[in-house]
Amino acid sequence: MRNLRIISIILLIIILACVPQVVEKDSIINLLCLVFLYISLASAWNILGGFTGQTSLGHAAFFGLGALAARLLWIRGFPIYPSILAGGLLAVVFALLIGFPSFRLKGVYFAIGTLALAQILNVTVGNVFPTIAALPVEELVAYQLTPRYYLFLGLAVIVVGVAYLLVNSRLGLGMMAVREEEDAAESLGISALRHKLLALVISAFLTGLAGGAFAYYHVSYYFQFPFTPMWSLDMLTMVYIGGTGTVLGPIIGAVFFVVLKEFLVLNVGEYHLIIFGVLFVLVVLFLPGGIISAWKKIRDALTHRTKSNAVKLSPEAKS
Amino acid sequence: MLELEEINAFYGDLQALWGISMHVSEGELVALVGPNGAGKTTTLRIISGLLKPASGSLRFYGQDLGKESVHKIVEQGISQVPESGRIFTGMSVLENLELGAFTPNARKEKDKTLNWVYGIFPRLEERKSQRAGTLSGGERQMLAIGRALMSKPKLLMLDEPSFGLAPILVEQMFEMITEINRQGVTILLVEQNVRAALELAQRAYVIENGRIVGEGKGDDLLSFESIRSAYLA
Amino acid sequence: MIEAVAQNLVFGILLGALYGLAAVGIAMVFGVTKFLNVAHGELLMFGGYASFWLFKLFNLDPFLSLPLTIIFLLLIGTVLYKLLFVRMVKLPEEEKIKNTMLVGFGLTLILQNIALNLWTADDRGITTSYSGAAFTLLGVRFPYVRVAGLVISLVCLFALQQFLRRTYTGKAIRATVEDWEAASLVGIDVHKVYLLSFLIGTALAGVAGALVLVSFSVEPAMGMHWTLKSLIVMVLGGAGNFMGTFVGGILLGATESTAAFFIPGNYRQVVGLVLFLLILIFKPQGLFGAKER
Repeated sequence: MRNLRIISIILLIIILACVPQVVEKDSIINLLCLVFLYISLASAWNILGGFTGQTSLGHAAFFGLGALAARLLWIRGFPIYPSILAGGLLAVVFALLIGFPSFRLKGVYFAIGTLALAQILNVTVGNVFPTIAALPVEELVAYQLTPRYYLFLGLAVIVVGVAYLLVNSRLGLGMMAVREEEDAAESLGISALRHKLLALVISAFLTGLAGGAFAYYHVSYYFQFPFTPMWSLDMLTMVYIGGTGTVLGPIIGAVFFVVLKEFLVLNVGEYHLIIFGVLFVLVVLFLPGGIISAWKKIRDALTHRTKSNAVKLSPEAKS
Repeated sequence: MLELEEINAFYGDLQALWGISMHVSEGELVALVGPNGAGKTTTLRIISGLLKPASGSLRFYGQDLGKESVHKIVEQGISQVPESGRIFTGMSVLENLELGAFTPNARKEKDKTLNWVYGIFPRLEERKSQRAGTLSGGERQMLAIGRALMSKPKLLMLDEPSFGLAPILVEQMFEMITEINRQGVTILLVEQNVRAALELAQRAYVIENGRIVGEGKGDDLLSFESIRSAYLA
Repeated sequence: MIEAVAQNLVFGILLGALYGLAAVGIAMVFGVTKFLNVAHGELLMFGGYASFWLFKLFNLDPFLSLPLTIIFLLLIGTVLYKLLFVRMVKLPEEEKIKNTMLVGFGLTLILQNIALNLWTADDRGITTSYSGAAFTLLGVRFPYVRVAGLVISLVCLFALQQFLRRTYTGKAIRATVEDWEAASLVGIDVHKVYLLSFLIGTALAGVAGALVLVSFSVEPAMGMHWTLKSLIVMVLGGAGNFMGTFVGGILLGATESTAAFFIPGNYRQVVGLVLFLLILIFKPQGLFGAKER
């Protein structure tokens, strides 16, 4: 069973790798690039938000820093791959800086704190680099979509791969223990702080890499753009819709997000964000486990699995 | 007036009450005794509506209360003094009492009821402007009971009113409870102090591990060997 | 030079009053229901637009039309509560806070884009006969409109405090905050308390929005900015103490405007955010908050 899964995944990757050779239309390649980018972002966010349960509203900071470092280095003539790596590392540096103080905050305070931090970075970068991140002419001329496609594909494979490895590792188990019941985990000898920091660093690094890839892909954008809160909220939305805390969830969420967005923009234009907002609210209210949990429920219903009959409790259920 | 029949209750997936059946008639002082964790408080929570039964019926003067909201049940005439009283410490004694008369029926006769409560607990009148948080343990219990009385309950339920009180205060507390009952308020008393509860009550239920294991007149149960060895040793 | 500083400070304080009012709104809701409605800023924005259109279409003075703006916001608030927030009342506290925050974000997206589609992204402002007028004290200009904003904010704050402290319903709310089970055991309908508190918070947002319109301008994207400010001030002041929250707002306004002297104007936002983070980390109960809830 497991071998079948591995084979089918490898097959899928091979098929995806062949796409640029077979498909002519740039729009499709671009769409796939976007899908891979969002898969990477969602999966990376999920490592901190889903596995470890620390809801970050400031991941745009890591994305932006990765893009910033990569773009600046690349514009000045550095080769792109090391530049992207540098982007990831810059994000890690920032993560380490804020890591200790941030995790003094619990729950919602952590979320709002990360939002504030990302906003500080957003405003600052907007002031220090108010211009468009223009490409030198040589790069403009040499721009090719295919290498970027492979970069994004590779990035997505790496990020999802890391997520998968984590889920099945002891480290990942520790993270999930921290998510479920931090105090209980501590009493078992699991250092909550250490796990949170590791999750933060890994998540930041991968998000930073995605930022670097973004910098390589996008021809012209404002330096500030990848720092805007929209990116953080998009990551949140995708993972929640797909299903937090799973490996597949962010992937489903990202694909759903990009595809639906394209579809909506084409059909309802300016209203697409409203529809997204509605969908997000519906998921939070009625489908907290995302599409993955809906799928599980359907599957369970089909196989007639029964669940225990729990009583409806009054507000604030005793556990 | 109060009838529980085959009540089953759960906290999540954990069953707390198994087929509880009991009744309280008008004017009675009934005790519900049992060891810690037996389900006494859970039973009161069911009656008050803080917890909904999974199955079984809960009737008050024939009316099914199983699905009613908590404040509606108070309006029907059932009032509970929860464990440790849970008075509103941020407000004065008087404000606490006034809030006790929140239901529309009680509100109409607030002043009259207040005088009645002051009559039973003169100490409360003395301290009426004092912040409830500054009261002593015994006074807090009095305030909690007084507040519950303000809703003019037909049935008053007390969850361990003697808990944490000095022995002499415990005696006073039970005297007041007897007095309240004598003035016409039906009482369901949950207590760990089994001897005192059985002396006060005309009738009592014994609950263990979520099940009613005994019922009888107060004196009879007192002489019941298992009760003596289990709780009075 | 002193005059410039003083002028700046005054403007900062007058703006801070609006911060405070908005923050008291979100604090009211959060304090009682533990709903973290991050769409609070969007409600404020709608309050501003309501006031704007009442002026544009019916020539109603924005101060006189406040009751209408409030009614409009109460309607929106009721719909949002009954449709969305009421479903989260029964969640355990941490989950409740997180889920209401998430729903709030969804709402932000929805409300912001509704406004965008209805009224375009243009800044909207209004000018009345008294818009530019001011009185001068010791060389410092006090624009009537903004002073009125301060006065109205204080009136709202005072009214709220009196309501909570002296009225029966207000005490019922306080009782529910302290111990919702005990409150329901004395016959208080906790759900009504939640709804009322939510509506009060919404109404305050509406008033703040109208004042923002009259003192500055409104546009659809302003919501998140004001939500963040409200959150910052709520944390600054400590959620339990409305007076403290309001003073926190004034402090933030004053700090921002003073800082403008030392750092470039574009970094004004950062001041508040940094302050916010410092308080969160070192004094999470706020400057005036009680130690433990």
